[in-house]
Amino acid sequence: MLETIVRPATKLALLRMLLIFGGLGFIEASVRLGWIDRFFLASPLQAVEVLWSQLVGGNALYLIMITLYEIAAALLIATVVGLLVGFILWRYRLIGASYETLLAALFASPVILAYPIFLVIFGRTSAAVIILSSFFGTVPIILNTKSAFQQVNPILLQVGASMNLTRQRMFRHILLPAAAPAIFGGFRLGLTYILKSVLGLEYVVQVGGVGMWLSEAAFRFEVGEVYAGLVGTTLLSILFLFMINRAEFLVRK
Amino acid sequence: MNLEVMQKTSASAAGRARAPAAVQLFTLIVFLFSWQMIGKTGSIFAELFPPITDILQSLWIYVSTPILIPHLAASLYAVLGGLLVGALLGIPLGVIFGSSPSFMQVTEPIILYLAVVPKIIVFPVFILFLGIGTHSKLAVGAIAAFFPIALLTIAGMREVRSVFLDVARTLGASKLKIATKVYLPAIAGYIFTGLRIGLGASVTGALLAETKIARAGLGFMIVEYYGQFRMADMYSLLLLIFILAALANWGMKALFSLLLPLPRSSQNFGEFV
Repeated sequence: MLETIVRPATKLALLRMLLIFGGLGFIEASVRLGWIDRFFLASPLQAVEVLWSQLVGGNALYLIMITLYEIAAALLIATVVGLLVGFILWRYRLIGASYETLLAALFASPVILAYPIFLVIFGRTSAAVIILSSFFGTVPIILNTKSAFQQVNPILLQVGASMNLTRQRMFRHILLPAAAPAIFGGFRLGLTYILKSVLGLEYVVQVGGVGMWLSEAAFRFEVGEVYAGLVGTTLLSILFLFMINRAEFLVRK
Repeated sequence: MNLEVMQKTSASAAGRARAPAAVQLFTLIVFLFSWQMIGKTGSIFAELFPPITDILQSLWIYVSTPILIPHLAASLYAVLGGLLVGALLGIPLGVIFGSSPSFMQVTEPIILYLAVVPKIIVFPVFILFLGIGTHSKLAVGAIAAFFPIALLTIAGMREVRSVFLDVARTLGASKLKIATKVYLPAIAGYIFTGLRIGLGASVTGALLAETKIARAGLGFMIVEYYGQFRMADMYSLLLLIFILAALANWGMKALFSLLLPLPRSSQNFGEFV
């Protein structure tokens, strides 16, 4: 009966909501009934209440704006550098073959632990967070850009050559559109890494936006605020990923 | 004549294969030489770039004396413990989730969205529950390792072809037999890849947590040296961590490729690390 009324996608969404709110309800009940000490765990309602009060009357919106600014700045740097270097690595085969493995190896190592170096150069400022985070976004964009150009169907290039297109026109009308979906995959990955890095570094270094708020609340042992910060950071991450997925869907369409 | 052409072709192919390695070596030499010169002359950020020789000297002290052993032990406990807990939770949950497509349909987006949240931000919660000792770092390592392991196990479960299950059932195989003879060989490669990626995630998570609040550990030492502005010691410690992480990754890769070939499709899981 339910299946005839509700579309499968809506049914899935409802089930997900039921699962999420069921879990949150269980935590709420556990805290209210005293099964878990309030010193360790704030009830979800308390966390949302604190988050709302910070959004309305506190400086949560300002902190979110700082985080968004850091993400946007890091993405801009990563995009410009990533596209340029990715194109060079594809255009010059020897350079590509030489540095692709080096970049991948560097990316696989725990580079984020080198953040004190950036603190020395840029101080405890957003600039340190932006520059280091942009590295995490740049590498996937470089590798995906190179791979995207490599995967362009050679027949398309032959068609362009037979039409006597100039190099600029070939790039603009054939190479770039053909490589765009795969390049966007790199953006998606890059933005995901930037998001994780910005929020993580803000928390560790205690500078910038939402991550810093979480860190300060933890130092003050404000349990409600810790969980509010956690909820806010998680929601921000989820919102970003949702937007990236939507954008990728639209690009591929 | 043909032999000569073939020899020339094979020589040029070998040359082409060696060329990237030569460029990499050249880049490394130029990088090290430039750093050494900057360090010696103090022309750019004098305190920030100590000479390479100072860094290597410091590294030698780490490997030849027991100075770092308590910190290495604390970090290894957090990282390997984190990997173990992550695997103990991730593999069974991955199997359960992966074996139920309808349940997976409901939960998959939730898991994928949560996988992208930076795990270090859960550290204050672990501090509340477990204190500032090693266990809270182990917990960060565990949650960081959990997602790649669970997600790759789920991916492996999805790859199990239903025809294999049908054949096993037709032959009257018990549930245990199906699990050990059909599922396990099919998903082992994915689990191994998950463990390898999980190790990297655990290293990053646990050591990053150590840089925040700790009393021991390699991450703690990095921040200590940074606080004391002992840059050569900090660089050598970072170098040591990179070398150890690379060796662990390489060792796991070699071990797993000996045990079974890794699935190609399980390589593109970077975003969940």
